[in-house]
Amino acid sequence: MTSTAAAPVRAWLRFDWTMLVWLGLAAVLVFIVVNPLIRLVLASFEVRDGVGYTFDNYLTAYGRPRYVQALVNTLVMGAGVAALCVVFAVPLAWACSRTDMPARGFVRLCVLAAFIMPPYLGAVGWILLAGPNAGWINRAWVAMTGATEPLVNVFSLTGLIVIMACNLFFFVFVFTTSALELVSSEMEDAANILGAGAVRTAFRITLPLIYPAILAGVIVVFLQSLALFGVPALIAIPARYPVVTTQLWQFFESPVRVEVAAAYAIPLLGITIGLLGLQRLLLARKGYVTVSGKGGERRVVRLGAWRWPMFGFAATICLITVFMPLVVQVQAAFSRAWGRGFSLDNLTLENFRFILFEHQMARQSVFNSVTYAAIAALIAILLSLCIAYIVNRKLLRFSGVLAFLCMAPFVIPGIVLAIGFYAAYAPPPLALYGTALILILAFATRALPIAYASNAAGLRAIHPEMEEAVRILGGGRFMAIRRVVAPLLKRSLVGAWVLVFVPTCQELSTAIFLTGPNTRVMSVLLLDLSEEGKLEQLSALGSVLLVITVIIVAIGFRIVGRDFMLRRT
Amino acid sequence: MKRRDVGRVVAGATAAGLVGRTAQARLSADAEKVLYEAARADGEFTWYVAHYSTEYANRYAQAFTAKYPGVKVNVVRATSGVVYQRAMQELKVGTPQVDVLGSADIGHYLEMKNKGQLETFRPANGATLLPRLRDVDPDGQYHVTGFGLMGIIYRKDKVKAEDAPKSWLDLADPRWKNQVALSHPAFSGSVATWVVAMTALHGWSYFEKLEKGKPQIGRSLLDTNTMLKTGERLVGIAYMPQAVQDIAKGEPLGLVYPSDGSVLIVGCSAIVKGARKPAAARLFMEFLQSEAFSRMLADDFQEPTRPEVTSRSGVSLATTKLIEQSAADVLKGGPAARERWRDTFGA
Repeated sequence: MTSTAAAPVRAWLRFDWTMLVWLGLAAVLVFIVVNPLIRLVLASFEVRDGVGYTFDNYLTAYGRPRYVQALVNTLVMGAGVAALCVVFAVPLAWACSRTDMPARGFVRLCVLAAFIMPPYLGAVGWILLAGPNAGWINRAWVAMTGATEPLVNVFSLTGLIVIMACNLFFFVFVFTTSALELVSSEMEDAANILGAGAVRTAFRITLPLIYPAILAGVIVVFLQSLALFGVPALIAIPARYPVVTTQLWQFFESPVRVEVAAAYAIPLLGITIGLLGLQRLLLARKGYVTVSGKGGERRVVRLGAWRWPMFGFAATICLITVFMPLVVQVQAAFSRAWGRGFSLDNLTLENFRFILFEHQMARQSVFNSVTYAAIAALIAILLSLCIAYIVNRKLLRFSGVLAFLCMAPFVIPGIVLAIGFYAAYAPPPLALYGTALILILAFATRALPIAYASNAAGLRAIHPEMEEAVRILGGGRFMAIRRVVAPLLKRSLVGAWVLVFVPTCQELSTAIFLTGPNTRVMSVLLLDLSEEGKLEQLSALGSVLLVITVIIVAIGFRIVGRDFMLRRT
Repeated sequence: MKRRDVGRVVAGATAAGLVGRTAQARLSADAEKVLYEAARADGEFTWYVAHYSTEYANRYAQAFTAKYPGVKVNVVRATSGVVYQRAMQELKVGTPQVDVLGSADIGHYLEMKNKGQLETFRPANGATLLPRLRDVDPDGQYHVTGFGLMGIIYRKDKVKAEDAPKSWLDLADPRWKNQVALSHPAFSGSVATWVVAMTALHGWSYFEKLEKGKPQIGRSLLDTNTMLKTGERLVGIAYMPQAVQDIAKGEPLGLVYPSDGSVLIVGCSAIVKGARKPAAARLFMEFLQSEAFSRMLADDFQEPTRPEVTSRSGVSLATTKLIEQSAADVLKGGPAARERWRDTFGA
C-alpha cells in the first residue's frame, strides 16, 4: 500500500517542479501579454456604462467617413514610411557592410544616432527646419530666391513620412546588414564570371537573396509607424492629416469611449496579423538558404569612381536624419527665442534652468523615465532569459508557446497595448491607474520581444556541454546557471539591457494613456510642453533625454563593444 | 524684470492701503491655520491646470508652497481638453489622481457637476471676489480662479496697425491667406468657448471662410503667440493677458480687441469628488481666490479676480465690447463645435 501511494506522490513531486516553473512563467505572460489583449477585444463589445455585449462600438468607430479616412490615411502614411526607409537603408546597409565606401564606421554611428533620437524630437527639429514661414530652410530659400511660397512644409504628409523614416530606417538597416553579412561573395562571383556587372549582380543576385530581411524590416517599420503617437500630435494636426493614433485619442475625449477606442483599434491588430501572414506567403515557396556549413568568404566590393558619390548619398542621409535636426534643436535649447538665430545675445541657459529647477515635475519625470525603463528592461531581460533558456535547452514541453508569447508584443502597436492595459488593470480590483507598476509592466511587455531575441541569440552561442560538466560533477541546474551560464552571458545581458532600455526610456505611445500625475515620464512631459509651442524649453528637456540616453549607450559600448546595437533582432 | 518689480511695489502699496476697509468675509487667520494643519497632513496634492501657462502655473505652485511649507503641489499643465480627458480616464476607473482641476472650458464643469464628479466647497475668499465672478455655480462646486479676454494679435513689426484685422470677420479676409494662427477647440477650452461664441455670432460659414485662408492650427491657445513670435504667422487669435506678458518681455506684438466683441474666457477650478488630498485641495482653492494670488495674477498682466487689486492688463472691461458665454451654452455647443471643426478643418 505504502509503495503504491508513494509512487504517485513522487511522480507528482517530480512532475510538479518543472510544471510549476512553466506555469509561473506562463502566468506572468498571461498577465502582461494575453490578458490585456483579451480585455481589449472584450471591451470592444461592451456596452458603455451598462451590461451585456453589442456590436454598436464597431458601428460608431467606423460609422463616420472621417474615422475611416483616418485609417486609410494611416495606411498610406505607413506605406510611404516603409518605402522611404528602404530607399534610405538598403543602399546604406550595402555600402557599409560590403563596399569600400569611406567613413563606413562613422555612417554606422550616425544610423545608431538616428535611432537614439526619439521620433518626436526629430519632429521638433524638423518643425524648426521646415516650418512653412519660420523654418530655417524656408527662410534661407526665401532670402536667396525672393520666392513667396515656402520650399518645404513640414506640416504635410511628406513631412510626416520623412520624420518617421528618419528614425525608423534603423530597423531596415539592421535587418539588411545582418542578412548581407551572411551572403557570401561566391554567388556574386558566379554572376560576375557569367558576365554580369556590379550593378546587375547587386540587383539580380544580392538583392533577391536579402529580400526576406528587407521584407521583415519593411513590416516592422510599417507597424511601428502606425503606432507612433508623438509625431502625429506634433505634425498631423497642423497638417490636417488625421491618423489612427490621433483618432484613438479623440475617443478618450469627453465622453470617454474606451469601448469605441477598443473597437477602432482591433483592425490594427488585424492588419498586423494580415501582414505577417502575407510575409509567410511571399517567402513560403522560395529558398533563401545562403548559409551553409562551409561558410563562404565575404569580400569588399570596390566601388571605384562610385566611392565618393556613394559617400555623398550616405552623408546626405546622416545630415537629414541626425545632424540637421540635432543642430537646430541644440540651438533652440540654448536660445531665448530660436527664431532669432545664432547670436551671442540670443544665447541663454534659462531654458535649462527652468526645466531643471523651476519646473515642478521635470526632474521627477527624468527620474521616472530612467527608473521605470531600467526596471522594465530588467524584468524583460530576466523573464525572457528564463524562457529562452527553457526553449533552447528543451527543458519543458510546450515551451514554444512561451516563446511565441514573448515575441507577440512586437507586433502590437504600443497605443493598442496601452488601451488593453487600461481596460484590464486600471479599474478595480487592481486599480493600477496612476501607479508606477502599470507603466513598468506595460514597458516590460513592450520590451519583451527584443529582450527575448537578444537572449536567445546569446544562449545559442553557449554549448550545453559546460553545464553538463557541472551536473556530472554533482551540481544542480541552478548552480550550472549561476556559475556557468550567467558569467558567460554577462556581456550579452548587458547589451540586451541597453538595447531595451533606450527605446523604453523614450516610450510615448504606451505612456500617454497610462501615466498619472506622479508617474509622468519625460516623453509625456515633452508632449505637454509642445502644446504651448515652447520649443526652446522642450528642446532643453529633449537634450537632457538625449544626453542620458547617449551616456547609457556609451556605457554599453564600453562593456559590450560597439556592435551590440546592430545585432539581428 | 524691473518693470515687474515696480508693479509689485505699486500693487503692494495699493493693497496695503486697502487693508483697513477689507474686513469683509475672507478666510480668517484661525480658519486658515486649521486648514493648513490639515493640508500639511496631506503633504501634497495634484493640480491639473489649463488656464495658466506652464511657466506661470509652476510659479504659482511654488508661491503656494512658499506660503504653506510642507504642502507640495504636483503641477500638470496641459490644455483643457487633455486635462479633462485625463481626469475622466481616472474617474471612470474610480481612482482619481487629480485633486484640483483647472480648465478654461466652463462646460466641462457643468458636465462633471451633472455627473456628480465634483466636490461642493465654497472658499471663504470667494464671497469677496469681483461681483460678477462670485457664485458662477449656485451650488458652489466650481469657482472662478482667473479670467481674461480673447482677441486678436498681430506682428507689429510686419503689419501696420491700420492694416491689422479689426474684427473676427477680418481674420477670414483672403489677404491673410497662410498667415492666420488658430488653435484647436478639442484641446483648448478657450478656443472651444470662442468657437461656440463665433457660431452664435457669425454662423458656421465663418469657419468655412477661415479655412480657405489655410490657418495653422495649434493645440493650446498659447501656441498662437508662439507661432507669431517665431514668425510662422502674422495674425492670430489669442488670450490677451498672455500677449500682454509677451509685449512686456519685448515681443513685437500688437493687440486688437475686436469690434464684434472680445470673448470673455473664465478659468474655473474645482475639487474633484473623491480627491485623495481634500484638505490640501481646499487650502489651494482658498489660495487661488486670495488677495495675494490676485496680486500675482496682476503682476503677470493677467486679470485679478479681486476688487482690491488693480488690473495691469491695459484693458477696461467696462468699456470693451464683450461676448459672454454661460456654462450651459458652452456645454451645449462644445461637443458639436469640436465635431464640426474637425469636419471643416480636417484636423
